[in-house]
Amino acid sequence: MREYVVEMNHIVKSFGEVRAVKHGEFTLRKGEIHSLIGENGAGKSTMMKLLYGMYPIDSGEIIINGETMKKLEPKIAIDHGVGMVHQEFMLVNDLTVLENVILGFEPKKGLTIDFAKARKEVEHYIEQYNMDIQLDKKVSQISVGEAQRVEIIKTLMRGVEIIILDEPTAVLTPQETKKLFEILFNLKAEGKSLVFISHKLNEVMEISDRISVMRQGEYMGTVDKDKTTPLDLTKRMIGREVFLNIDKTYSKVGQTILEVKDVWVPALKESSKIRGMSLHVNEGEIVGIAGIDGNGQSELIEAITGLRKVEKGSVILNGKDITNLKPRKIRDAGMAHIPEDRNRRGLNRSMSIEDNLIAVEIDSGAYTKGALMNIPAQDQYSEEMVKQFDIRPTDYKLPTSSLSGGNAQKVVVAREVSMKKKLLIASQPTRGVDIGAIESIRNTLEVAKKDGAGVLLVSAELEEIISLSDRIIVIHEGKITGEMPASEANENNLGLLMMGGTVEEEKGGEAS
Amino acid sequence: MGLMENLGKVFNVSLIYATFRASTPIIYAALCAAITQQANILNIGTEGIMLVGAFTAISVSYATGSWFLGVIVAMLAGAAIAMIMAVGHIKYNSEICAIGMGINLFAIAITKFLLNTLFHTNGNFSDPKIVPIPRVELSFLENIPVLNQLFNNWCFTEWFVILFIIILQFLFYKTVWGLRLRAVGQFPMAAETAGIRVNAVKYQAMLISGLIGGLAGAHLSLGYSAQFVENMTNSRGFMGVAAMYFGGANPVLTAVGCLLFGFADSVGARLQAYGFPAQFVLMMPYLVTVLVLAISMAIKLGAERKRESSLVTGDSH
Repeated sequence: MREYVVEMNHIVKSFGEVRAVKHGEFTLRKGEIHSLIGENGAGKSTMMKLLYGMYPIDSGEIIINGETMKKLEPKIAIDHGVGMVHQEFMLVNDLTVLENVILGFEPKKGLTIDFAKARKEVEHYIEQYNMDIQLDKKVSQISVGEAQRVEIIKTLMRGVEIIILDEPTAVLTPQETKKLFEILFNLKAEGKSLVFISHKLNEVMEISDRISVMRQGEYMGTVDKDKTTPLDLTKRMIGREVFLNIDKTYSKVGQTILEVKDVWVPALKESSKIRGMSLHVNEGEIVGIAGIDGNGQSELIEAITGLRKVEKGSVILNGKDITNLKPRKIRDAGMAHIPEDRNRRGLNRSMSIEDNLIAVEIDSGAYTKGALMNIPAQDQYSEEMVKQFDIRPTDYKLPTSSLSGGNAQKVVVAREVSMKKKLLIASQPTRGVDIGAIESIRNTLEVAKKDGAGVLLVSAELEEIISLSDRIIVIHEGKITGEMPASEANENNLGLLMMGGTVEEEKGGEAS
Repeated sequence: MGLMENLGKVFNVSLIYATFRASTPIIYAALCAAITQQANILNIGTEGIMLVGAFTAISVSYATGSWFLGVIVAMLAGAAIAMIMAVGHIKYNSEICAIGMGINLFAIAITKFLLNTLFHTNGNFSDPKIVPIPRVELSFLENIPVLNQLFNNWCFTEWFVILFIIILQFLFYKTVWGLRLRAVGQFPMAAETAGIRVNAVKYQAMLISGLIGGLAGAHLSLGYSAQFVENMTNSRGFMGVAAMYFGGANPVLTAVGCLLFGFADSVGARLQAYGFPAQFVLMMPYLVTVLVLAISMAIKLGAERKRESSLVTGDSH
């Protein structure tokens, strides 16, 4: 018998100018869990999307079960027993869970779809792996954890033997992650071979048999889990040691700068609607909002920044009622905002670094001469910003579309922080950026706080929330489920609150 | 007294068939737009496809003496036009609205040109040699007063449209192809990762849309009338697109939207007899188009706002 069910040799893949994979190697044994780790942009997802046939490879070879694949597309990959659970769920919101599961592989009865037969088949898997799934709900109505189980069922229904999971835990609480791992171990016990993509080392150390590392599109080697340590893996991933633990200062907390009073906010999804939330932020402190993605954090931030309607309640900034004012007016009242999606709201990607840097100040008169632009003043300011925030490339006339995720985010951060407003809203400030940029962005937030600004931080990374915040507010389904000083917070008690539990419950659980 | 009498002449039993008769070409056009809309392609070229179909049907019927052949060739011509759009949009990734408008302008020009070169005439073409789509005579209804007035002597394609609405409803919501079509329209990536060839489904939708559009045109020239008039579609294709929006690309609801237009058209025609200015009467269907779209969007937005509101609990569904 062959040693490997999958072999990927000398893989190269470019997207236009960007060489996503310069040299990729990967092998998978039957019945193992093989983790593929690396920073954002290291090429790990691309490698697996190539294996699943979502793009053709430029050069190299892919061998599945001993057969060299000449042509690969998802349909062919599935026929050869390869399934993939994508980081962004591939589920159609308006279709039911059952319709989504059978999509592409529908059992037929005459002209129509045989839903009864499909249901029976799906229920068989639900029972076998003890999953909790409601088949008749529309996908838009189910939770993230459930959607992920639907994705796993989808692959199983197609009879695959090899399952790729692309950062499956990114959207889960620690408790949901535990549940997922149980399912994965069960699958492994059944003889399935699993690829686990992640950048969370503790999870990788818990679940893997072997671990492969990628850095900047290059294969950095494969190790057995028993023969490595998290520190060793970090060095391979990054090429050096990093220190994300910033020196947290406890500056004197000033007066209240932002006050949110019993705010109600509409949302597309039921679980994202804000129903009666109150909180405040003081000068000189970072308040972190922890919660599973989609529990209302985006809606809350949009409501505060004037991008979404507040249906009831009020938002007070610096003593002024800013409820439902235009974003421009709110900014003028003393708010800066690093939006969660830099591509959609943070930057105009087709305009230059310089244009983006001065975008919110264009009416202030500092960079204009009457109706004309004041190019020298703009250049001088851009030069300063590029230097101060280490934006690369330093040519600020380049369009921001040519920047990497990390540098693009630095442009947004530079613009918002340099205005020195009294309140800084930072929504997912380090999402999808490399570790070097994470270090610098986190330090920038810390400095803003030291300078006396109040910071409201939203992040999907619990580790980021805990290490940056002075005070942590946990939300679940649009309501605050707990609040505590960061010194008392850990992944366990936050995770429980994120699921809608209470701290008392956890204490009770430990006692018994 | 006189007013009531006149109202009675406008709103009587025969208005029901008149409404349906005026609606049928729009229903075909709307279904032509609905099938591509399910694949998230806005077929603004419906108007042009229909016009080409209308001309082809007349020409073939005139040349061969067969209405059936006329309809079939018209459908093929519609499909050919739709495939030009499909290749431009799907393969070469150009903006569908731009291609669609191009097709509409092209259709007006080419039919006018061919009318001139083939039949040596301008404006319109009618000839006794043109064999129209036959009417269905139900002799058993002849002695039943109201039913006879309502249901007898329908054009064959008028009966067929009812069946066709049901067929499409079934196709969209009960079959494998329909499920895939909707998945492709709503989230193509999801469909692709499920092993569905997204572009193939889009081509199929465009192809069927072209066939329906051709049929719409054939019905207009060979069923609704028995002649070809320059630009005879007269925005019925656009009304079909509007009705499709009104019905959210659901065949049954879309057809209901078309009946509204047909109703406005028929009432307008009758009002003209009572001294309403012709311009006003001609304006009615279009006025209704704008109103219907505005009202349906307002209702949709209102429902959306209510669904998204945090103040109501959403456990009702």
